[in-house]
Amino acid sequence: MTTLTTPFAEQESRQTKWVLWFAWVLAIASAGIGAYGLFLRFVLGHAGANYGSYVPWGLWIAAYIALIGASAGAFAFAAVIFTLRKLRYYSLARLAILLAFGAFAAGMTNVWLDLGHPLRFWKLMLQTSFTSIMGWMSWFYVIYGLILVVGLFITRNGVIPKFMERYSWISFFFAIVFAGAEGALFGVVGARALWESGLTPILFLVEAGLFGLGLVAIGGFIFGCLEKQSARMLSVVMLIFLGLLLLFKWAEYTTALYASVPAKVEPIMTILTGPFWWVFWFFHLGLGILLPALLLLFGRGNIWSTGIAGGLIAAMSLASKLNLVLPALAQEELKGLAHAFTGPGLVFAYFPSLMEWLVWIGTLGLGGLIVLIGFHIFNISAPTYSGSSNR
Amino acid sequence: MSDTIVPKENLLLRMQEDIRRALEKPEGERRWGMVIDTRKCVGCHACTISCVAENKLPPGVVYRPVLDQEIGTYPNVTRRFMPRPCMQCEKPPCVPVCPVNATYIRPDGIVAIDYEQCIGCRYCITACPYSARTFDLGHTYTEGTPEQEVYELLPNYEYGVEHPRKPGSEESPIGNARKCHFCLHRLEQGQLPMCVTTCIGIANYFGDLNDRESLVAEMAAQPNAIVLKEELGTKPKVFYLI
Ligand code: SF4
Ligand code: SF4
Repeated sequence: MTTLTTPFAEQESRQTKWVLWFAWVLAIASAGIGAYGLFLRFVLGHAGANYGSYVPWGLWIAAYIALIGASAGAFAFAAVIFTLRKLRYYSLARLAILLAFGAFAAGMTNVWLDLGHPLRFWKLMLQTSFTSIMGWMSWFYVIYGLILVVGLFITRNGVIPKFMERYSWISFFFAIVFAGAEGALFGVVGARALWESGLTPILFLVEAGLFGLGLVAIGGFIFGCLEKQSARMLSVVMLIFLGLLLLFKWAEYTTALYASVPAKVEPIMTILTGPFWWVFWFFHLGLGILLPALLLLFGRGNIWSTGIAGGLIAAMSLASKLNLVLPALAQEELKGLAHAFTGPGLVFAYFPSLMEWLVWIGTLGLGGLIVLIGFHIFNISAPTYSGSSNR
Repeated sequence: MSDTIVPKENLLLRMQEDIRRALEKPEGERRWGMVIDTRKCVGCHACTISCVAENKLPPGVVYRPVLDQEIGTYPNVTRRFMPRPCMQCEKPPCVPVCPVNATYIRPDGIVAIDYEQCIGCRYCITACPYSARTFDLGHTYTEGTPEQEVYELLPNYEYGVEHPRKPGSEESPIGNARKCHFCLHRLEQGQLPMCVTTCIGIANYFGDLNDRESLVAEMAAQPNAIVLKEELGTKPKVFYLI
């Protein structure tokens, strides 16, 4: 077996301690806030939410796809590291699996609470309709969750088993299918011109890669497992993904605007110039793409700039997904619908309610706590070994 | 002189008779459909309200809003009223997306929702190109007032099943996707959908599209009959006379 140096120990004395302390406080506070949100969710039901009939999906669904995408990306990163046997990054890859699990748990909590009948979730598995991508996704989630848990357990002593190194490429392809199918869930909805595109699943893949790397970068920073080389590697890969994302967004928006088909132009104009224009320009483009790109370009593998850039990318994933989910729904499908009949949920404008915000914060706290506690349970800071004895 | 006056046909009675004939056929041979004459609709919203009353719809749930559309620019402007029930599409995009088979096409062509099966994911709502589905968030008309009125708790009989309403719970139909079902519970008793019965201008024709003798089949074959968003290929069974 080959012992690998772990970067945790040497880092811990430096910035880690207070950053970690801050992360604990933030996660506990968020979970506490979320507990009140959860209380409201169960007392008020969906009557306390601002999504409804014309905008049936809101903050929770955007958060769910952002978190699941980031989870798939982080998981794919780990799978690539093990497949390529990049021993130097094994610790980071183990952390990536834990982060993937935390993001997955947070994402699933969001979507679970979004269901009209959360206690009927089992029907998704036991009475699945396989004509529905959502039906397929439910099974993917079960398999994915199991892979993550098993992966964390079998590596908890710090040894990456040989079979895991050998077959991680399967996990990598699974992550691609998984993240792509998430995009297909939207891409196949013909009623929403903004979603219905072959580019949608591809965009989801690119975003999953980017958000996952962002998560690994900020996670590595918080737990003190980023060092010069891994920070540089992550910076380069994140820059490539940022470039790809910009390219795809540019291609999608410009072709649609040029083609001038109203059903597609209207939601895009809502994104660019609508009442929430700042979500795109300030949060998504500014804080989620341009600022991280500058930090990565000029930081040149600096641990701080890589960690912060990763954090920005991961956090702003929500802005990107909000802009995918909401503007497509906030369009009158038939002229005159907005004023034909009024009532709660029969509006084309949407801003999350207090309950929605609180629950969302709580799910992030939950994910954070899972990662912080899991870090100890699964011995992520322990030295990592390769299980391949011939190395 | 009185011989020359042609007695007006009672369209409601004729449609009632059409339904009776259809109900004698096996379910799979019926194809319920509706034709709405926009030239006769005066935009009174009686159909919307009667539907709300018939199906005990809570705030935020509507099956048949009447769209008020202004067409053209001054001085060539027309105003058109367009009631919008569920189109009961022959190729409904809402059906294949449902992850638990809660929404399905019945043999008679009505797209139904199994309230006890629906998990409330709302994927079908996003997939309907006509916004015909609404989500029951669990609101009541008297929320925020000192007393819960009894009428809020009355059961509805959609799909022929009694559904009591329990505000504050997540018992169906609260938490479900809901939509027009052509008043299936009435139809199966030989009655016309409530909106057709209530329409003050008899602007709605209803019956079995497979029955060539029926009024609805006759109207759907008019040259000025159109369907909404025909280009999507959803094949609605609701037609509009323009
Ligand atoms: S109008 Fe909408 S809800 Fe009704 S059958 Fe068609 S797609 Fe489904
Ligand atoms: S809301 Fe209900 S009927 Fe609609 S797709 Fe989800 S489970 Fe099916």
